[in-house]
Amino acid sequence: MTTAKPKKTVSAAAIERAMDAAARQIPPLWPLASYVAVNPFLGQTEDTLAETGARLNRIAGLPVTMPRDWYQARIASGEIIEGDLAAALSASPHSGKPEDIGALKAAMHSPRPETKALPTIADLAAEVSGTDWPGLIAERFGAWASGYFDRGQALWAAPRSKRAWTAFCAHATHDLTPEIMGLRGFAAFVADRPDNPMDSVARSIDRLGLSKAALDSYAHQLLFLLGGWAQFARYELWRAELARETDTTITDFLAIRLLWEEALFVQYETDVADRWNEVRTAHQKPVDLTDAQIIEVILQEAAERSAQRNLVDTLAHSPEGGHSGRPVLQAAFCIDVRSEIFRRALEAVDPSIQTLGFAGFFGVFAKHKRFASDVEELRLPVLLNPTVTSCSGGKQTEADDLAARYSARAKRAWGRFKLAAVSSFAFVEAMGPVYAAKLVRDALGLNPTPVPNDPAPRFDPELDLDTRISAAETVLRAMSLTDGFARVVVLAGHGANVVNNPHASGLHCGACGGYSGEVNARLLARLLNDKQVRTGLVERGITVPEDTLFVGALHDTTTDAVTLYDADVSAQDHSTDLKKVRDWLAAAGKVTRGERALRLPRAANESDIASRARDWAEIRPEWALAGCKAFIAAPRSRTAGRSLEGRAFLHDYDWTQDSQNGFGVLELIMTAPVVVASWISLQYYGSTVAPGVFGSGNKLLHNVVGGFGVFEGNGGLLRAGLPWQSVHDGEDYVHEPLRLSVCIEAPREAMNDILGRHDEVRALFDNRWLHLFAMDNNGQLAYRYTGNLNWEAVDADTDGSKLKAVA
Amino acid sequence: MFLYLAPFFAPLALLAVAVYARQAPLGRSQRLPMLAEAAALAALVIAILSAVILLAQGAGTGPLIGLFGVGLAPRIDAVSVIMLILVAFVGWIVVRYSCSYLDGEARQGAFLGWMAATLAAVLLLVQAGNLVHFVFAWIATGFALHRLLLFYRDRVEAQRAARKKRVTTMLGDVALTCAAILLVVGYGTFDIADILAASREGNAPFAVIGAAALLAVAAILKSAQFPTHGWLTEVMETPTPVSALLHAGVINAGGFLLIRFADVMLLAPGVLAVLVMIGGFTALFGGLAMLAQSSVKTSLAWSTIAQMGFMIMQCGLALFPLALLHIVAHSLYKAHAFLASGTAVDLVAAIRRPGPIAIPSGWAVIRAFALALVIYALIGFAFGFDAKSPQAIVLGAILIFGVAYLIAQGLADAAPRVLTRRTALYSVAASISYFALQTGAEWITDDTLPATPPPGPLEWALLALAVFSFGLVAIAQAMFPLWAYHPAAAGLRVHLSNGLYANAVLDRVLGSWIVRRPS
Repeated sequence: MTTAKPKKTVSAAAIERAMDAAARQIPPLWPLASYVAVNPFLGQTEDTLAETGARLNRIAGLPVTMPRDWYQARIASGEIIEGDLAAALSASPHSGKPEDIGALKAAMHSPRPETKALPTIADLAAEVSGTDWPGLIAERFGAWASGYFDRGQALWAAPRSKRAWTAFCAHATHDLTPEIMGLRGFAAFVADRPDNPMDSVARSIDRLGLSKAALDSYAHQLLFLLGGWAQFARYELWRAELARETDTTITDFLAIRLLWEEALFVQYETDVADRWNEVRTAHQKPVDLTDAQIIEVILQEAAERSAQRNLVDTLAHSPEGGHSGRPVLQAAFCIDVRSEIFRRALEAVDPSIQTLGFAGFFGVFAKHKRFASDVEELRLPVLLNPTVTSCSGGKQTEADDLAARYSARAKRAWGRFKLAAVSSFAFVEAMGPVYAAKLVRDALGLNPTPVPNDPAPRFDPELDLDTRISAAETVLRAMSLTDGFARVVVLAGHGANVVNNPHASGLHCGACGGYSGEVNARLLARLLNDKQVRTGLVERGITVPEDTLFVGALHDTTTDAVTLYDADVSAQDHSTDLKKVRDWLAAAGKVTRGERALRLPRAANESDIASRARDWAEIRPEWALAGCKAFIAAPRSRTAGRSLEGRAFLHDYDWTQDSQNGFGVLELIMTAPVVVASWISLQYYGSTVAPGVFGSGNKLLHNVVGGFGVFEGNGGLLRAGLPWQSVHDGEDYVHEPLRLSVCIEAPREAMNDILGRHDEVRALFDNRWLHLFAMDNNGQLAYRYTGNLNWEAVDADTDGSKLKAVA
Repeated sequence: MFLYLAPFFAPLALLAVAVYARQAPLGRSQRLPMLAEAAALAALVIAILSAVILLAQGAGTGPLIGLFGVGLAPRIDAVSVIMLILVAFVGWIVVRYSCSYLDGEARQGAFLGWMAATLAAVLLLVQAGNLVHFVFAWIATGFALHRLLLFYRDRVEAQRAARKKRVTTMLGDVALTCAAILLVVGYGTFDIADILAASREGNAPFAVIGAAALLAVAAILKSAQFPTHGWLTEVMETPTPVSALLHAGVINAGGFLLIRFADVMLLAPGVLAVLVMIGGFTALFGGLAMLAQSSVKTSLAWSTIAQMGFMIMQCGLALFPLALLHIVAHSLYKAHAFLASGTAVDLVAAIRRPGPIAIPSGWAVIRAFALALVIYALIGFAFGFDAKSPQAIVLGAILIFGVAYLIAQGLADAAPRVLTRRTALYSVAASISYFALQTGAEWITDDTLPATPPPGPLEWALLALAVFSFGLVAIAQAMFPLWAYHPAAAGLRVHLSNGLYANAVLDRVLGSWIVRRPS
């Protein structure tokens, strides 16, 4: 056990810093009940994609771009042209890039060089002992952590009152499995560890002989290899920090993983010491960019340039016309790419219908309790804290509320009866045959999927008048909707309507924290229909006509049905209007389904969509945001009348109004919706280029764990990201992994100003996690952001994508 | 006579699809899924037709397709018809599910082919009227299932589980084959109906004890009884419909074996006693291990182990009609539970919404057990206690202990009166349903399955042990929150959640975690 190694090479403070830094390299993972997209490279946004690739390649052998033949096929088909390659090459900031296009093309055709991740001690121990220690650690860690985080799947939950470190150690001192598998005395080893995880980590580091420099890389590796577990722990930290607290789960996980490494090192030291010495030295070196990584990122950039040329084209040809005069209907939808198809269809139904795009939580930062529920749901973007609390139902529905709770509690008691040790036998013998009927019902899709229909939500406690007026003003200005109101203004949140799908909440509204968006829309409609609020708004310069009615709605993105919540308001004066609105929405839904059916497998036409949504075996009920590639913040007239194929986030924005307010709305757009869109885009990107690590794997094998996550198969690592079936239709990718092109119609100086004030946002653009374009006064893509607050003109000559630098 | 060949066409239809699937190209196909579902439906229709034949013509064995008494011979009787309908029904559901679920999988064709083959093998098994037929179908089932378990053959975890499964399957195959040989030697015929008739008349050749013991071994291995249960908790490495088929259609082959050869088993009371002990232990052990499982499919797998244990215990108690009822009820429940396992997120989220759970006190638990016994007595007298064997009465008591848990939840101090009424109502409904189904099962199988013999001293001792141990666990479960989080229970939870390490030891012995380097 004793070896001559330098003692106390790293100070306690340095260890703490290294652990914290490692934790921040890991992206958070939201629980499946409120699943939102996360940028898997969240901890690497200060680096470029190539640098990130080099780092992840070293610790996990991971590529961050598509296989080379994917790009080659695009070049061969003419989709990526010479100009794209040239532009991408010249834009590459890396010194080791190929000299010219010829060199790039020559290099591109050689195969991707084989690389291997640096081994951990578990890997080295597996090599010398023949026992799959990395697999066993993952399996054992999963067995413990699934119980630790369990939200109610197991009737006998694991003790959770302690921090992760003590909970794990208590578990591990009882668990005989590692010793049965050959890790001698592991339980005693854990029992003898220092009480404080930091002391334990210091001891492990000493024993492993790690230097400060090696520790940074190695700690990141250990956390990274815990997959979704580390990410779920990072979520705990994220939530805590948002509430201005802190959380030690993720650093505890690192300490736990180190404990395994140390135990294996002690057992196998004589056999692995030399190899470990090499690995340690390798970790100390700075990460080297290889030519391969630089070339692949250039190819990736070229693919994006090719898509941007198409976008320039699409935006260049503006159709004639446009309706003037009061619109017959205004319908605001979420910026979500799925809304684009529906908005286009709705506008086509009647040219005097106007649609708007705004983040689907409609500016209502609600912590909401649904009907008959004690659970507080955060229905707002996960970057922010709630500002209001709300609940569904009021005095009139109190009796119903209580009755619903009793039913739910009786059902819960029945559920426990079904699962408990002895009663499960009684349950099966008494109730088993009933399941024959349930099997037939579900197999034939006879079970209707309900639309959310809680009683009208309200603020609880009610906001005072001044707050209400200010909230209304802020939202309307942010929507650039301050005059020209129609008689009916529909505020449509969105949600999916699927059955038997663990990732259902991932199909809901990301801006509403992974819930369907009807609650926020109904709350805003209520606010804007408030007579006192309207009076107050006049004083603030916004006059809403007396005959304007706001109606909350829900756009079902799976079936494209729109539910209007007009019972929330007194709408008798508008009954004929609403009847027409319903017809228009139904017609638009049909057109939308027709367009979507073309992309969906086993959907011959629009009428197949509804039955697919009800099929309990359907794993591709909708494509969600697959294909997303652009974000456009501009007046709708810049995009109306042409197809963006359901691949663009559309945010209504009129900079001429905003310039009077110091570009406050622009700042909001660039720091919130743009960041959320980047999370979505990069989640799709990661799940496509590295599905084994950044995707949640094969849906056919998903095994829901603890009600918060999924395993792929028996157990082991928790899986984060999108299922493979969400980016691939079985024959081909449905998502092209392209970093998002953000196009904003606003002065460059205003954008520079905002970027200058928000370092994290600026890093996203400077390191090319997002592309940024400025649109000119004609709605054309005029300038490309090149980093460091510099811009260059986009040549209108789109076939060559020639660019010339501007000062 | 030829009418009794009817059930034979159910596996044939599916086999045709399996053969057709052999040459199906990779990728999306519209025809194969359609054909597969059509064949599964055809099998279901044939199974129902077999029931009609049974009602019209009575039980019988079809003409032998073979030579010298050896070959395939379909049998129609209450047991085979119930199993045929069950397997064909679950088969149709599972095939239909797979058509959507595996859409886009490059090897969907191969999957549907092997699924059809597995179903065909099980359908062949449950209608077996000849020993050779039985053994052939039994082995074929294991073989076809193995291909489904290795659908993702590159997955290390899938290989690990399939290897383990293969070892138990092979041991089971050997045990069954030897049992069949002993039966042939003992009774001088391959015809199962003849063997059963002879045993029922008390004809007990010397070899029969050995045959019964080997049948029991085969059943224990097939139905994942302790300590050979490990593989079942690890076969989530294959698409969900395979799990549904496995848990609803294949795993109960062990129980079916015992029920099919009930008359033979009755000649070996010692073997039955061992089955009671192994089954009873597995039931309690599996039920407790399940409590601590956090992933939905693993939890369902432990539940199956427990339910199979309970069913094997019923066989051991010579309550064969009830064991058959258990197989049917459990299959339907478990098929649905697996196929709908994607709802777990919603179900867990719904648990916390209506507020905290009311925890019953010790006093409430005592009252609940008293109430449950009252319900049992009332309903028991209504259904007629006197006609029941002591074994059946004890089993009913065990189930009533389970119902007591439901009542106890309603009697918790914090529970509102409405909840108390609801849980009481549910309890009565569950009890009535249970007794009605039990009576129905006994009535349907009256001619086919032997009556439960009166218990001797050994059986009485086992009954007392069963009541005591199940009663103890039932009380522990009802008072669960009062003790489960005590620090003293922490170690117990860890050991139980690991299935008392039986599987880990097996893994070590089999070298499951040895890195297999591609050579």
